[in-house]
Formats: sequence, C-alpha cells, structure tokens
Amino acid sequence: MKNKGLGEFEELVLLAVCILKGEAYGINVKQEVEKHSGRSILLGAVHITLYRLQDKGLLKSEMGGNTEKRGDRRKRLFEVTPSGMRQLEAAQDVRQKMWQLIPQLNAGH
Amino acid sequence: MPKKKFNTPKLANWLAAKCINKMYLEEFLGDLQEIYEDRMLVKGKRYARFMYWIDALHLLIGFSSFSLFKTQSNNTMMIKNMFKIAWRNAIRQKQFTVLNLLGLMIGISISLTIGLFIHHETTYDTFLPEIDRVYRVNQPNIWTDWTAQMSNTGPNVAVALREEVPEFEEVTRIMSLGSQITNYKAEAKKDKSFEESAFYAVENNFFEVFSFEFSEGNPKTAIEGPNSMVMTRTAAERYFGYESAMGKTLEVKQWDGTWQSFVVTGVLVDVPSKSHLQFDVLVSLNSYQAQMDRDGWKWIWTAFTTYAKVNKGTNMAALNDKIQAIPPKYAPATTEQIFNQSFEEFTAGNPWKLTLQPVKEIYLSEDPPYNAFGPVGNPQLVKVFMAIGILVLVLSCINFMNLSTARSSNRAKEVGIRKVLGSERGTLIKQFIFESTLFVAVSTVAALFIVNSSLGWFNAISGKELLLTPYLSQPAFIAVLLVFVLLLGFIAGSYPAFYLSSFKPIQVLKGKMSAGFRGKGIRNGLVVFQFTISMTLIICTFFVQKQLNYTSNLDLGFAKENVLQIGNIEQMGFDTERLKTELATMPAFTKVGKSFGVPPYVDSGDRYKSTEPEAPVVALSNLRVEADYLDVLGLEFLAGRNFDQALTTDQYKVILNEEAVKVLGWGGDDPSSAVGQFVALASGSEDKFEVIGVVKDFNFASVRQEIAPLIFINLDNNKVWDYGAGLSFYSMRLNPQVVASSEDLQTVLDRVEASIKAVDATIPFEYSFLDEDFENTFQEESRMSLVLNIFTIMALLIACLGLFGLAAFSAEQRLKELGIRKVLGARISELVVLFSSEFTKLFLIAMLLASPIAYFLVDQWLSDFANRTPIHIWVFAVSMLGTLAIAIATISYQSLRAAHKNPVDTLRSE
Repeated sequence: MKNKGLGEFEELVLLAVCILKGEAYGINVKQEVEKHSGRSILLGAVHITLYRLQDKGLLKSEMGGNTEKRGDRRKRLFEVTPSGMRQLEAAQDVRQKMWQLIPQLNAGH
Repeated sequence: MPKKKFNTPKLANWLAAKCINKMYLEEFLGDLQEIYEDRMLVKGKRYARFMYWIDALHLLIGFSSFSLFKTQSNNTMMIKNMFKIAWRNAIRQKQFTVLNLLGLMIGISISLTIGLFIHHETTYDTFLPEIDRVYRVNQPNIWTDWTAQMSNTGPNVAVALREEVPEFEEVTRIMSLGSQITNYKAEAKKDKSFEESAFYAVENNFFEVFSFEFSEGNPKTAIEGPNSMVMTRTAAERYFGYESAMGKTLEVKQWDGTWQSFVVTGVLVDVPSKSHLQFDVLVSLNSYQAQMDRDGWKWIWTAFTTYAKVNKGTNMAALNDKIQAIPPKYAPATTEQIFNQSFEEFTAGNPWKLTLQPVKEIYLSEDPPYNAFGPVGNPQLVKVFMAIGILVLVLSCINFMNLSTARSSNRAKEVGIRKVLGSERGTLIKQFIFESTLFVAVSTVAALFIVNSSLGWFNAISGKELLLTPYLSQPAFIAVLLVFVLLLGFIAGSYPAFYLSSFKPIQVLKGKMSAGFRGKGIRNGLVVFQFTISMTLIICTFFVQKQLNYTSNLDLGFAKENVLQIGNIEQMGFDTERLKTELATMPAFTKVGKSFGVPPYVDSGDRYKSTEPEAPVVALSNLRVEADYLDVLGLEFLAGRNFDQALTTDQYKVILNEEAVKVLGWGGDDPSSAVGQFVALASGSEDKFEVIGVVKDFNFASVRQEIAPLIFINLDNNKVWDYGAGLSFYSMRLNPQVVASSEDLQTVLDRVEASIKAVDATIPFEYSFLDEDFENTFQEESRMSLVLNIFTIMALLIACLGLFGLAAFSAEQRLKELGIRKVLGARISELVVLFSSEFTKLFLIAMLLASPIAYFLVDQWLSDFANRTPIHIWVFAVSMLGTLAIAIATISYQSLRAAHKNPVDTLRSE
C-alpha cells in the first residue's frame, strides 16, 4: 500500500491538515479544501479520506477541544506523521520534475 | 446546559447512533451539528436540514460498511455475503426489483397512514392523567323510547351519587348553557363582543377530575368562587390580545337581557384536539346558585353531564350494581311533582339504569350517539380502515410471493449449485428470508418518507390532524416498526423461501426448467385472491359513493334550495315584528317566517298523548313556528290548514306530520281523521290542543334517520314551555329572479345585517342556507368516502403491479411456444387473445367470488340507513368490467410485446 502514492483528493486533504497545524478536524479541513480548490465537497468524503490516510499511517489523531457549538462533543484532531510529510514531499518532487520537463515552458529560459 | 436552539433532525441522529461505531460517533455528531448551525444561519433551516440528512447518510454509508465488513468474524462475513447475493439478484432483475419495491412501498405507506389514523382515533382523552378512573354517567334517553342511551342527566344525579356512593373520589357535573354573548368593555377602546358557543358551567372540583393544563392561574382555586371564569388561551386572545387576561372582567348576556359579570381567574393551554371535551370558556356553576337552589333536585332538567372519578382499586361490576338503587330512590320526587306520575308510571316498565362509561371510550362509542362537548368518532370507519390496511398489506405480500416464486427458474441454478457445494436448506431459507426482510426494510424507510410528505394532503382530505414526526422519536414506535419489518419480511419471504430451497439440485442442474412452472396453482390462487379483494373493495366504494349521492339528492319533502336563515333572533326578545316587516318588504324575499329551530337541527321534543282514554304516551319532536314559516318551507298539507295569523284562537292549535298521526293512534291511512282531534302533554296538565292540519312527512333531521313524528306548536302558545334550545331564526325564501348572482346575494346579506344591527348592534349576524346545512350533515361521510376511494385505487394499483410482473414472467416463459405458433401461422391477434385468456380465466373466478362477498357487505352497511340506495346489478357489472379492462390493459403490454417478437430471435438458440 505504501508505494501506491497519494490520490489527488487525499493530497488536498493532507495539505489542508498541514496548513491547519494540529487544529485540523472534519469541518475545517472541509472548509480549507473548499477554499483553495473552489469546489464544494461533502463532509463524509472528508471523514472517509481522513480515516483512510490514518490507516495508511500518514495521519495520526487524538480527541480533544469540545466547544458549546458542537453540543459539548469533542472533535478528533488530526496531525501529519513524518511518513505523511515524506509522501507529500515525494508527490511534490514528482510534479516538480515533470513540470521541468515540459518543453514549451522551458523554451523561454 | 447549553440552550437547545438548534434541533438537529432526531431521526438522522438516531440512525447514526445505531449504525456508526461508538468510536466515531462523538466527533461525527459534533461536526454535523457545527456545520448544521453554520448552514442554518447562512442558508436557512430547510437547506440545513436537507444537508444534514445528506451528510449523515453519507457518513452512515461510509462508516457502517467500515465497521461491518472490515472485521473478519464469521458472522459478519456471512451477513456480508447475504447482502452481496441479495444486491446482485436485485440488480440483475431490475424490473422485478422495481415492481416489488413499488408494491411494498405503496402497501406499507397506506397501512402506515391507516395505522396513524387508527392510533389517533383510539387514543382520545389519554393525555389526561388518571383518566382511567374517570367515568361518564349515562342514562336511557327518557325523552324518546328509553332504548338509546344519552349522556345528559339531571342536576340531582351528581348530588345523589355523592350522597350514596363512597366509592367515588369525585363527582362533578357540567351544565350546558348554549351560546353566550360575551362582551369585554375595554377602557377607551371599542367593546369586544363574541358569541361563545363552547361555554359551560362547571363545579369547583372540575380540575380534580380533568387536569387540563393551566397556563396562568391556580387549578385548585380558579373555579371556586361565584362569577369566576377560566378560558383557553385562544379564547382569551379574542378579547385581550396579548395582554394578560387574569383579573379582567367579562360580561355575559343573560336570557332576560341583563348582563352578568365574570372575572377571569385562569387561562388554560388550548384544549388538545384529541379531547372529547372541547370548550372555550368555563364559569363556576355557583354563579347560577339561585337557579340551582330552585331546580337542583330535578331529574328531568337534562342540561347536565355527570362525570365520576372512582377510588383506586374499585370493583366496577359491584359499583355498577350498587348505583342502580339510586334512580328509584331519588327520581320519584321529580316524576310525582312535575308529571303527577309515580316512578313506575313514568318509566312505563323501562329500567332507569345509570351506566358508567369510561371517558377513554366516549369518542368511539355509538351509544350514546351524541357527545354534548365535542365530536364523536365513527367506530365503523375505524374497523373498515383497519380491514383495508391489513388487506392492502396482504395484497403487497402476495405480490412479493408471486413475483419471487415466478422468477424462481432464474434462481434454481443458484440453489442447485449452493446445495451441491454443501449448503444446508436452513442456510438457503435464511438467505431468502433475509432478502425479503431487506426489501421490506427498504420499502418501510421509503414509506416513512412518503407518508411524512403526504400526510398534509391526507389531513386536508380527511379533516384530521395526523403527524408522523412526533412518533419517530418514540422508542415504542421504532420498536413496533422493527417488529413490523421483521414480521412482514418473514411472512412475505416464508413461502418463496421454503419453495425455492426445496429444489432438488440434480433436477435443476440437469436443466429441467419446469421449476418455474411449479407452484403455478398456488400463484394463480393468490392472483384470484388479490383480484377478489380488489373487486370487492371497488364494488363497495362504488356503493358508498352511490349512497352519498342518493342522500344528497334525496327529496326531503320540501324545497330546501334558496332558503336563507338568520340566527340569534332570540337575542332581540319576543317582539320581532318590526324586523319581520322590514325583511318582508325586501324584494329579494318572497316569504319570511320565524321558528324556534331549523331543520336539520330539530332536536327538541316532549311526551304527548291523544286525549282519548287509554291513549299511549308517545315522544314527538316539536318545533315552534309561525304560519309563514311553513310557507317558507313549502310543506304540503294533506288535510286541514295552516295556522292563520288573523285568528287569535289558533294560538293553542297544533299541526302534525303523518308519522305523528300514526303514532298517536289515529289510523294513519287517513290523515284527515286527525283533524279536529286533541293532543295533550303527557305530564298530566289540563291543557289540550286541537289538531288543525296534517302535513306530508318531510325530513327535518339527518337523512340517515327515519322521519320521526313531529308536532308544530304555534309561536304564541304559552301553555307549552318547550322553546327547543331557546334559539330562534328567521327563514326567508329567496326570489331567484331578484337574487341572480353572488353580488346580489352579498347586497342582500349586507342589508339584512344592517337591519339586525339597527335593532341591537351587539347581536352577531349569523346566516346559513338550508340546503348547505343538510349537506353538512354528511360532510364527514363525503370526506371519508374520498379517502376510501383513494385507498381502493391504491389497492387496485398494487394488484396490477403484481399482475404486470407475472405477465412479464409468463411472457418470458412462453416465448418459444408463441414463436412456434407464429411460425405455424398464428396471427398476432390470436396470440394476444391466447396469452390474455390465461389471466382472464383468473379474473372470471375472482368476479364470481367477489360479487357475493361485496353484496353481503354492501347490504350489511346499507341496512344502517333509513334511506338507502337500491343495490343495482349494473353497479357490479360496471365495476367488474372496469377492473377487467384495467387488468387486461396491464397485461396487454406484455402480451403485445411477446406476440410481436420475431420468431427467429426466440427460436434461434436451442
């Protein structure tokens, strides 16, 4: 499973978790992804992805931070694991390399 | 506690809690609520709720599969496998799946709606605490022939019960006062005056027996002192708007025109609609102390209703026996002093029995037929609906069985393989039952949505206030629903399960496709059964409709059209000649007449006899009228004449209808024999009244009843003190030439209103039309017949869905046969007839079965009516041919398709 790489949506979710630095949970991840990608996504999709990423060992989580707004329920806060970070970087690398190989773009340099 | 401002959909939460692993639940519900609140603020409740459902279901699907199928225990693997098989079969046979689901969905929706209706009708008054111990005291109807019960009693009954029976914790009585004009003199504002029709006087222990919820005031003391008044929130708002009603003074107009003041001492939460006791205003009974002191000993002043609350653990049978000693002990005072008769003479041998009726049963009981304080339900209707609910469920179960067994050939191989691989029969049965339960479960969930969204529409038709959502949060309802799903799943699935699992592997794997044809006898039997039910229902609803049309078009014996009636005339006192002259001069009216009561609401009566010796005492309805009123109605005189206003001697004359002549014993064949005879009140007074005329029988009450004996008393007769309910009316016959449009009518109404307001501005203007009043007496029936029509159509639809499926199956089975016939030269029309005839035979059998059943039911039902529509054969013919046409249309699609198939395609592969 480890070598399978990240799906596009998984990558977006993972990035959102990084941006939110330890404060990430279902709703703000959803909002973050919606904000940057400009498309609307379902809450369930976010949750499913978060858990899938956790199963892959790219995220870890703990419960915490209840607020009155949530009817006194705690949220599950997600954080990126080192292996998650590596995956992101690897994905970034692959893209970078490929971008550089596009002839039209490099023609000007 | 945080305040619960945002209520998330309960059903969704419940579902989530059941299906999602505990580990995730907290954060999911938290997230859902958080996002719900955001959405609610930005886009409103509707959107938020909708999205909540979407999200919850999404999470449910995402995560229940997570927890269910990722574990490796044997059991869950098994269930997963069963799911998979069920799903694959459902997908492979889309047409059958859709037909099955549709049939079940319609069936369950209907029975669910009916279930709600029945639950609503059978749980009246249960919202009151300790109502189990409260009984209403009924007695025989002493004003008629003593056979029916009535819920009214004299004031002394409660006194006697208190005195004699310690088993009663409380005894309380309610006095009916009729409509009361109630006025609020607000300082510096216009008076607010309303006619309160649900206005009663109650005793100070009323709220000990009926603990209605107070919104302001103290239940213990509110109705204690004289001139105190308790009203419902809605009634209070009529007078005081949003101001507090407590301590305010209202004036109530008395019969003699004076005003009595009452102080508001309590405001009640509006009386729930599911109460047999409906009221707007209650006043303390001791406000009428003088009258009670004078008449409180009477047993025939039946303006009271008596309720009693028994002690805990009372032996009701013994108590019932015990109270029978009371009438012989207390009533003689009344019979002797008022009627000059002994107790035995008055009752004429009929037992004067007091009956304790549990309050919870009042709404749905037929005896006594009336409830002074609110609506009565229709127990017959509840039974009919219950039968329809069950039948419709049976129809959809049969559909399921038929479709499942019909397509068995498709699954025969599966069963064979599974058996070869070592599957036991029990496992296969489990699989099939599981599938049917799954179908039922899916249909039930869909039915919940369907019912929830269509209830408003059902309520509009039926005039009920049913709601589904309050039930959804009740664990009992959910439990019942679950049991229902399991039970129905089992019933619908059992026959197919045992049938399918009985296949012998060798036979089916050898390719003996006869499997599909096995069980055909049973299947045909079930189709016959389905259509017997549908046809019976159709014939019955046809007759319900026919009876309704018949009654609404029935010749009542007088011209009910174009009669305008205005009420509240009694408020003007007795001298209303000036108003009459004014009305009579209007060109819109051809005739104007006054009466104390108007059809169909002539419910006052008394006991009369002819003055001949040994004449029987009979109960006659009476109506106090002037001569012109009989002309307004246009009654036909068979003998004698109408009252003559010019003759003062007519004051003590009376007019009878044919039926009255008969019961008084004057040989009804010749009405003229009654003219010149005398009648007298049976109370033993000296006065006697000469009969001057006999009118042809006409319907003056609901057309449901036989025409009762009736006596017309002259308006000015001051020797008979019966004024009906004390209400008087002017009735006017409209001149259709003058009043030709609704604008004309409005002008006329405005003018009449102005004339009344000119006499006294506080008198509310109320009018009605005679024909509309009659129509309203069977409004409930018309509504229910509409509901019945809809249910019948649905039942037929379900049967047709099943038929469609069966025809499709049969077409598939016979493709080769039809192909060969075609090759050999059969025409398409011949094939269609051949194919349809298989089913037509079944309908013919169903017809033979349905007609006697329907005849029996219709005959039974009609026997309750005094005026019944004849049972014509053509109704049977029309409804059965109609059903046949619909059924043949249903299968014709399949038969045409099968017949049109190119034989090359069907015969190519073998």
